[in-house]
Amino acid sequence: MVLLPTAKTLIWQKWDDLYLVYQPSSAETHVFNETSALILASIESGSLPTASVKEWTARSLGLMADDLGSEEFDLAVTRLEELGLLDCGDDKTALE
Amino acid sequence: MIIGDLDQREFTERLSGVGLCIQFGPFNLRIHSDLPAFSRVAYPLYSPYPQPQPNQLIDFHIQITSPPSMRRWVRRQACFALDGHFPFAPYAVDHAFPALEWGINWCIATRAHHLLMLHAAAVERNGQAILFPASPGDGKSTLCTALIHSGWRLLSDEFGLVRPEDGRLLPLPRVIPLKNQSIEVIRQFRPNAVMGPSFLGTRKGTVAHVQPPVESIRRSQECAQARWLIFPRWIADAPLSLTPIVKSQAFLLVATNAFNYDVLDQTSFRLVTQMVHDCECFTLIYSNLDEAIAALDQLNPTRPHSSKPSSIDSE
Repeated sequence: MVLLPTAKTLIWQKWDDLYLVYQPSSAETHVFNETSALILASIESGSLPTASVKEWTARSLGLMADDLGSEEFDLAVTRLEELGLLDCGDDKTALE
Repeated sequence: MIIGDLDQREFTERLSGVGLCIQFGPFNLRIHSDLPAFSRVAYPLYSPYPQPQPNQLIDFHIQITSPPSMRRWVRRQACFALDGHFPFAPYAVDHAFPALEWGINWCIATRAHHLLMLHAAAVERNGQAILFPASPGDGKSTLCTALIHSGWRLLSDEFGLVRPEDGRLLPLPRVIPLKNQSIEVIRQFRPNAVMGPSFLGTRKGTVAHVQPPVESIRRSQECAQARWLIFPRWIADAPLSLTPIVKSQAFLLVATNAFNYDVLDQTSFRLVTQMVHDCECFTLIYSNLDEAIAALDQLNPTRPHSSKPSSIDSE
């Protein structure tokens, strides 16, 4: 499985422990916690395997990959996908 | 020229004839009315306001008049219209003045999308402004009225108008509609405040309008920089509390109190982000106006601030 970015341009503002993200393609402003923001940031420059995203996100949070709960990670990915900010695909999709 | 350069008779003739042109901050209006009840109330309250130059464009052509049909002979009513369209049900004729004022709010909120419009009061001193974004019933108008009779200049009671080019606040110093208990509170607080009659039983309860100090109206073309974002709330008998809040919370409170945040897309995000970055942000809980004003008077206007928010732009 890979995670692919779908929003080409995002505008970020970090305040306190929250990230405000403006998505020009939908004219929406999102408010994310650090986990969601890091997932998005990890794929800004291109698609990555889900496991790599999780590992990078955990490391950025100061955790081991196993310490970042799958439920929290999966929930964040699902929500980001619902918002049209990323797509979940297989390796073949990423190559295309 | 100001409206007060006309006498009451000329004022009434303009209203019922070619229309009365009046300038409220960045907006020029032409008002028609055939209602003596409206003219009597409007003349003293509108007297200090400027008349636009004859060559200036009129933004809103509005009227508060008798019903156009046979209904005028059955019930005495007042109908608000913009460009000949009647967006609201008729009002009791005695409520013509508040009806027109609400109608002007509607015109601005639904048309002035060249500006970011925050639902906020705003006052200024020494070129720096406090914005009070608030929901109805939070005591925004009462506090604003008390402040402008205590040395602060009125920018606006209802609309925080933000100019996209530079993020500065445009004044819109219109009459302030006080509701219900606030009317008596201000009468006690500043007995010399110029206040129109109380309108009983309107759609918003009892309403009376306070005329801003003439100085605020005279300076209605002088912009100001937002320096403080303060979210007020009046709570009976509560001790005064002016508490800093985090920027992310302030952003959400400002954005959700805007009339047209969604309309202006990325411009709104940029303007609100910049404003929150540049401002100190507080919640204010108060029950006593003197205490609240003393606390706001002590805000330090000299703290410098940088001009760019620390955003991460992924473009």
